[in-house]
Amino acid sequence: MASHGVPRTAAAAVRSEEARQKELHQIEAYKELVELVNTKIAERQYTLEVLASVTTLLNQNPEYYTIWNHRRRILGALMQTPATKGEGSGGEDLLLDDLQLTFSLLRKYPKCYWIWNHRNWILRTAEKSTDLDRAHHLWSGELQLVGKMLQADSRNFHAWDYRRFVVAQLERLDSSRISASEQVDPTVVKWLESEFEYTTKMIKTNLSNFSAWHNRGRIIPLLLSRQGADDRTRRHLLDEELKLISTAINTDPFDQSIWYYHQYLMSTISPGCPQHRRIALDLTNHDRQKYYEHEMEYINEILEDETDCKWIYEGLLDLAASYLEVDGGTKAFTTRDMRSWLEQLERLDPLRCGRWRDLRQKLNI
Amino acid sequence: MPTELRLHVDQHVRYIQSLDTRKGELEYWLTEHLRLNGLYWGLTALHLLGHGDALPRHEVLDFVFSCMHDNGGFGAAPGHDAHMLYTVSAVQILATLDAFDELEARVSGGRQEIGQYIAALQDLETGTFAGDEWGETDTRFLYGAFNALSLMGLLHMVDVDKAVAHVQRCANFDGGYGTSPGAESHSGQIFTCLGALTIAGRLDGVDQDKLGAWLSERQLKNGGLNGRPEKKEDVCYSWWVMSSLAMLNKLHWIDGTKLATFILQCQDPELGGLADRPGDMVDVFHTVFGIAGLSLLKYPGLEEVDPV
Ligand SMILES: [Zn+2]
Repeated sequence: MASHGVPRTAAAAVRSEEARQKELHQIEAYKELVELVNTKIAERQYTLEVLASVTTLLNQNPEYYTIWNHRRRILGALMQTPATKGEGSGGEDLLLDDLQLTFSLLRKYPKCYWIWNHRNWILRTAEKSTDLDRAHHLWSGELQLVGKMLQADSRNFHAWDYRRFVVAQLERLDSSRISASEQVDPTVVKWLESEFEYTTKMIKTNLSNFSAWHNRGRIIPLLLSRQGADDRTRRHLLDEELKLISTAINTDPFDQSIWYYHQYLMSTISPGCPQHRRIALDLTNHDRQKYYEHEMEYINEILEDETDCKWIYEGLLDLAASYLEVDGGTKAFTTRDMRSWLEQLERLDPLRCGRWRDLRQKLNI
Repeated sequence: MPTELRLHVDQHVRYIQSLDTRKGELEYWLTEHLRLNGLYWGLTALHLLGHGDALPRHEVLDFVFSCMHDNGGFGAAPGHDAHMLYTVSAVQILATLDAFDELEARVSGGRQEIGQYIAALQDLETGTFAGDEWGETDTRFLYGAFNALSLMGLLHMVDVDKAVAHVQRCANFDGGYGTSPGAESHSGQIFTCLGALTIAGRLDGVDQDKLGAWLSERQLKNGGLNGRPEKKEDVCYSWWVMSSLAMLNKLHWIDGTKLATFILQCQDPELGGLADRPGDMVDVFHTVFGIAGLSLLKYPGLEEVDPV
């Protein structure tokens, strides 16, 4: 009912009588299975046998959310009753089976909300009936799963969301271990540090991966504040990030993701940036001017080889506006420069001509 | 508007009417969990096409009421569990068909019951909403709650300020919004967050220029819109992106004619319906969002759609 990327010709091909009969049989079998599961659940037969039918059904249709609810009803009941002889499935074994099931389903349906949800529920439920070390082991195993999912599709936002959630759980477990008196805890910082490294790795594999850039920008202020970083460390990190992005811009100035991360870094410098999102905390307007001047300088240099890249002109205009905001005047550029950048945007990017018209009015140039 | 292409209204109407006659296809049974959404999408598309009466009103309402649970929530189809997503579709259908009186006639105090079901899903600590009793939270559910409650005049049943604060925590540096605080900006989530803020009358905290710029960059050379930077175009984003631009009064920040051409190219001109991209298989989801996109672009002959 919402299909993506399925060619029309293949799907609309006329079916032979044989194929039609086969499909009718499949429908019958499927409806019987649905009927069976719903009947047993209505009778509250929360047994291993019904659980197996539920597994079969979910393998055929993982989008059938009610069946996932039924599965949790069954699991909840089975975990209450002590394992009977012969069946031998303790509560945790059942949950481990579900980790397997959801893993194989996620490989096939990586964007299905219900599977991700169920996995989340399994982990939270398993944690309740186990000790801290075991819980830690379970949650850190999730990082490997997410790693695999992101290897298959590095932009999957379900996987990124889940990754952030898993890291938050690991931090929670770790901080419950330390005494309240400790101010800075190295083990808790450790997760954010390794997540920061992970984004470096993902970006190096593919500069266009904005999901990785996004997560990097989210982590940096958190990490610095957790570390209790001093002004020097903060400035150093800001400078390192600016170096990284300038190399990226030089590599491929046509990539949007890179420019968005550049915008992000500039937003942390802006006087309007809320404290908790800043990288450097001690910037004066003079510092800001220096940063803006430096960015404009090297971006202007790229312009010598790339006159048809609209992102360059947009970047320069943004920087000019920021520069004016911190009373830099027009030492680094002239109004005529701004006018010509805007003209280039109008020339190179007619799709958004309405936006450039509004911008011209706003800048009053 | 493009001149070489046209909207195949009759084919689309017939396509939507045919959706409930496909019981010989396995796909029909495998998508039962979307039945109530599908009905809402089909009905909305028909309304926009000016054929609101092409589905039998009485049968539609019978089906909607057959999905209602005692707790005031609705499932996707009879026998399916109640969930926010379907409850919202049900309320939207009742509003489209002007059928709240029929609701009261069949379930006395029905509106209030639905309102209570939705209100109980708000997390009073964070202000966000869960989809159902199992607890998944997402800005999609928050928007759904606001939409349904405002259609019933019951927005006062929830803590609007807390929900607004939650949406504001989902804002990113690029002006966009994600599924939860810290999540990457995504066109679908931007629509839900802006929609919720618009319903609450709280667009004041939105970085409108930045967000408008980000949204306008979703348009690609072929005219289509994508959902995030460096992703492919898809008809369904015509709706998420454009309705968001409309809420910001910046529809003119993209090229409407080029987008309309792209949407029209996604039609199946013979059997009706629209697909995600030209030449792909059609479905009712892309059909309604493509047509709603054209309506926002003021395509001639279509009813006007409310961006929220
Ligand atoms: Zn789509």
